[in-house]
Amino acid sequence: MQSETDTQAQTASVDPFTREVVTNALQSAAEEMFLNLGRTAKSSVIYETLDYACGITDAEANVVAQANGVPGFLGTLKFCVADAIEKFGRDGFDPGDVVLLNDYHGGTHLNDVAMVAPIFVDDELVGFTASKAHWTDVGGKDPGSWTTDATSVFQEGIQYPMVKLYEGGDRNDAVYDIVVANTRMPDVTRGDMQAQKSSMDVGAERVVDVFNRYGTDTVRQAVADEFDAGEQLVREEIQTLPNGTYTAEDYLDDDGVTDDPVHVEVEVTIRDETIELDYTGTDPATDGPINSPYAASVSDIRAFFQAITLPEAETNEGFFRPLEITIPEGTVLNATKPAPIGTDWEGSAMAADLPWQALAPHLPDRLSAGHFLSVCATIVGGHDERRDEDFLVVEPQPGGWGASPGKDGADVLVCSGDGDTLEMPVEVMETRFPLLFDQFALDTPQEAGHGEFRGGTGLVQDYRMYNASGGFITAGFGRSKFPPWGVEGGRDGDGNYIEIVRDGDGSVERHSNLTNHELGEDDVARLVTSAGGGWGDPFDRDPERVLEDYRDDYITRQTAREEYGVAITEAGELDAAATSSLREAGATPTDGEPNRGETQ
Amino acid sequence: MAEDTSRVAVDIGGTFTDLVAVDDGALALEKASTTPSNFADGVIDALEKCELDPGIIDQFVHGTTVVINAITERNGDDTALLTTEGFRDVLDITRANRPDMFNFQYQKPEPFVPRRHRWEVPERVDQSGDVLTPLDEDAVREAAREIRDAGFDTIAVSLLHSYQNPAHEQRVRDLVADVHPDAYVTLSHELTKEYREYERTNTAVLNSYVRPIADTYLDSLEGRLHDHAVDGNTYAMKSNAGTTSFEQARRRPVEMVESGPVGGVYGAARVGEQIGDPDVVSFDMGGTTAKTSLVQDGDVTIDTDYWLESSQRDEGYPLKIPVVDIVEIGAGGGSIAWVDQGGSINVGPQSSGADPGPACYGRGGTDPTVTDANLLTGRLNPDYFLGGEMALDTDAARDALEPLADEFGTSVREAAHGVLRVVNSNMANALKQVSLRRGHDPRDFVMVASGGAGPLHAATLGRELGVKETVVPRAPGQFSAWGMLLTDLRKDFARTNVGSFDADTAAEIDGIFADMETEARDAYAREDVSLDDLNLERTVDLRYAGQEHTVNTPVQAETVDASVVGETIERFHDRHEQTYNFRMDDAVEVVNLRLTAYAPMPKPEVSPVETDASPAAAVKSTRSVDFGTEGVHDTRVFERDALPTTEPIEGPAVIEEPACTTLVHPDQTVDVDALGNLHIS
Repeated sequence: MQSETDTQAQTASVDPFTREVVTNALQSAAEEMFLNLGRTAKSSVIYETLDYACGITDAEANVVAQANGVPGFLGTLKFCVADAIEKFGRDGFDPGDVVLLNDYHGGTHLNDVAMVAPIFVDDELVGFTASKAHWTDVGGKDPGSWTTDATSVFQEGIQYPMVKLYEGGDRNDAVYDIVVANTRMPDVTRGDMQAQKSSMDVGAERVVDVFNRYGTDTVRQAVADEFDAGEQLVREEIQTLPNGTYTAEDYLDDDGVTDDPVHVEVEVTIRDETIELDYTGTDPATDGPINSPYAASVSDIRAFFQAITLPEAETNEGFFRPLEITIPEGTVLNATKPAPIGTDWEGSAMAADLPWQALAPHLPDRLSAGHFLSVCATIVGGHDERRDEDFLVVEPQPGGWGASPGKDGADVLVCSGDGDTLEMPVEVMETRFPLLFDQFALDTPQEAGHGEFRGGTGLVQDYRMYNASGGFITAGFGRSKFPPWGVEGGRDGDGNYIEIVRDGDGSVERHSNLTNHELGEDDVARLVTSAGGGWGDPFDRDPERVLEDYRDDYITRQTAREEYGVAITEAGELDAAATSSLREAGATPTDGEPNRGETQ
Repeated sequence: MAEDTSRVAVDIGGTFTDLVAVDDGALALEKASTTPSNFADGVIDALEKCELDPGIIDQFVHGTTVVINAITERNGDDTALLTTEGFRDVLDITRANRPDMFNFQYQKPEPFVPRRHRWEVPERVDQSGDVLTPLDEDAVREAAREIRDAGFDTIAVSLLHSYQNPAHEQRVRDLVADVHPDAYVTLSHELTKEYREYERTNTAVLNSYVRPIADTYLDSLEGRLHDHAVDGNTYAMKSNAGTTSFEQARRRPVEMVESGPVGGVYGAARVGEQIGDPDVVSFDMGGTTAKTSLVQDGDVTIDTDYWLESSQRDEGYPLKIPVVDIVEIGAGGGSIAWVDQGGSINVGPQSSGADPGPACYGRGGTDPTVTDANLLTGRLNPDYFLGGEMALDTDAARDALEPLADEFGTSVREAAHGVLRVVNSNMANALKQVSLRRGHDPRDFVMVASGGAGPLHAATLGRELGVKETVVPRAPGQFSAWGMLLTDLRKDFARTNVGSFDADTAAEIDGIFADMETEARDAYAREDVSLDDLNLERTVDLRYAGQEHTVNTPVQAETVDASVVGETIERFHDRHEQTYNFRMDDAVEVVNLRLTAYAPMPKPEVSPVETDASPAAAVKSTRSVDFGTEGVHDTRVFERDALPTTEPIEGPAVIEEPACTTLVHPDQTVDVDALGNLHIS
């Protein structure tokens, strides 16, 4: 942990073994924080979805170790700590302080509540612990706080503007009471707050142990060396990527308030040791809540950057020095207060998907075709008649991933913004919440995402209220109108959507955005996530693999014939002769059409 | 319970099949090569080599890799799955997580049953066990016929919420038996009565997948033993550190998945008891991995959240069966040191394995390994490896480490130290994970070290961790087999029953425990085990209402009433605070009820031996050993069997035995007790 004052003074280097041992110990402290918070929190979106991150920074807000369940938080902790330092000043902290924040300074939607706490060794500020977690409800106009139709951040919950929840180890009851009074789920909120705070105490204790064990100078130098080494390696890695300028443009479906598509674009420049991303030309922030604050966009971009450089390395601040990002202020990818940010994942995920589209054809060993992309988050709630209490469950839905050369896309996997996020089992959902599932299945037969390598399959879930009243659903399913993209002739996916099947008349409503939408006793909510994009011409797919797909009910015989040019007999065998003539008869109808977004 | 009985334990490892026996108070040790083409050959070889009179063997306890090998090598039998309509895809959906977060070409684990081998049947039970849709029996018969005609002999049945109401699964078995009487049928609820459909289904699937192989193997071994005039009772080691009859093991083979390693943890628990320190951190380091587990008050830690083949980059496959909670990391004698993408030095998880092995084995290995580093720092004796059967090549070790030294601009010796520091720090982190991170104070624990490489690193780690003392038991290289010698019959039962835990629900909970007890007694009675000494332990998985994860908390009473509930809640608050640093005033919920039923078996006892001699007489040589920051010391080298029990030995010291070397630091001392354990403090 290098501090400004002694940058010059420290020249003694730390041997690589000590560096490894020290940075491992710090990483281990971050992981312990992470584990403790996950095992004690009360919001399912924390303990199952792992929508949280824990980290340790130096005294200048540089992240030295971080553990996250979702890559979407990569980098936002830095902004939290930096803003707290700016507000209170380096001398403005005492041991035992904990700062609470969730507003635009936190950099993601208001449900993501951050805590920042100083770490002292012998009265000297050596760094901070920081964590950020999705709380189920922080007030606002609708249950669960984020919505798809808010038109101002003030409708999306209470804002904690960097206030001290603890001062010198004592809880600030005024702040605490305001927090608890402004949530629909006070028990859950109290639990999450306590769990988050306790995990930070444990983290700080471990960090202090590391400093005492190895000495402040050694730890600082080890961290500084680690940053430099990280930067150096990333620079070397970027040199292996093809220099050039690549562009992509795309659209966000709509902002949830109007039906207008929102234009986004990027220009990517790989130049020797650096990568520059410029989003100039992207539409202004929208009236609806798909806007992404700068920090949220940067986090998703960083995750993408890591994926194309050193996906297996443990990152630190040094890794991101060769990355230059330009996002004009006031755009949908760099929104400013009071623009609503409830479904900020739509914007931030797109900030990563754009350069992904631009580079996928050029980095076939690292990138896949487009995936279902949207977090496809839902809030389902109502009154649980069995327990006689209100319930609220927030969940992302997994979907199909894109194919890549030699590999079909993965079926039913959480999106790029989510990570080691666990889908809740049906048996747990039904036990905990008054819901009943009719199906939980791969969305087959697959009718999109075909290719020499096939996009992964999406998920279809049907559920209904069971022993509940006043049911409702909120859902933000982006990539509904502009589906996941194929590469090199691979077909696009089919888009995410929700259907409400009304029991009364059996009518089916199709949606991509819902807020506080009624779910009657016998209505079925059907959540469907998209197939991923394919890679390569489907007519080039090995007929044996097409046959396997047919035997596993992934595709129909008709799809095999029409999309893949593969004839399968009624007995389920390959008809080689008919296949040859189908394939000779010509290319598939859409062959040769450029993929959307790939403009280079 | 020590009685006049003779017992033999045989543990099949990757390279050797270890045999440990107690005959007339004396410990007998034997090794034979493992014979992967037919593991039973190795078992019989070991029996023959040890020249024990087979007729006197009352009990034969067996740990085997046959199950884990069948899974790892994917050579189990094609399995059909019968499941609830609408839910056949749980094996593909998994938990949908991406552990390898920045890999945008992540591939999920391949299911053990492809989609085309799954049959759905209409039926539905809700979370409380109520039937919403009756079982469609014609659909089951039709599916069974299709399964039979497609040539499947092993079938897994997993229906939604069967842990709550197993009637439909049971009925499926009867219906299948009518159509396909020879099939092996595994019902998910018989393996676990906990919720989470993917985990339970995968457990049933893997059990079905290995069942024919395990059945054939145990049948053949039983026959061979019989031919060899071993007529005692035969028991298999299960992953819960207890044993079961061969008969039961054949029905539930997946429970043997960690058959071998748990022997070591159980052994560590018993060593702790012998020496009067029942709180133990076990540490077992072999050629490829190091394993550690926590033992509290003599009890091994069990949980049912086990994932096979999982790593930071892969989800792996869940098994919802009781398995000793072992933290395993890729750190062994053969672990390779390398420089990663981030320019940092790493050791493991890649290992040079048994072949070619570390560079110093002189079998063509060129990668620098932990064993090479130990040799170059003088900690290992090049002339006494495997009792001198194999000479170690110091030059080859030096050549292997040279590139690493060059990369970091240090000497080979420094690089060797660096490798040892990194591997020790990795292992220390794992040890802290099982102790410190779960709120325990390492100073309350002793560390029991085993495995071929364990004693060489144990004293360093014990000091780093700050344990009370480090103990190296006898025969540390065959310690898993030793642990198996001391096991009891054990069955674990669990029921998911989510709800309030308070005075009002005490009677209901008591009723469920009573049912589980009946189930336990019936199960043992069917195996003709005496119920007189049956030892029942009850625990509950509790949490604050609203939390998901639970803290396992003992119920220290035979019946549950309001006051027992109150005491248990108090215990839960304490444990929660110890583990997570806080407690709350919130209502408490129960998730699972657990019952462990032990049937103690008579066990032989090893007679103590006092050796009265001066330490000086046990010194066989002196050599220069590099202790890193503690400097280079001329160090006395002892032969373990010659050590006196009457006088402590001051470090620095190296204690050699044919299969292992124990390192003692300059400021440490060693005591030897009458059972042959080394105590380093």
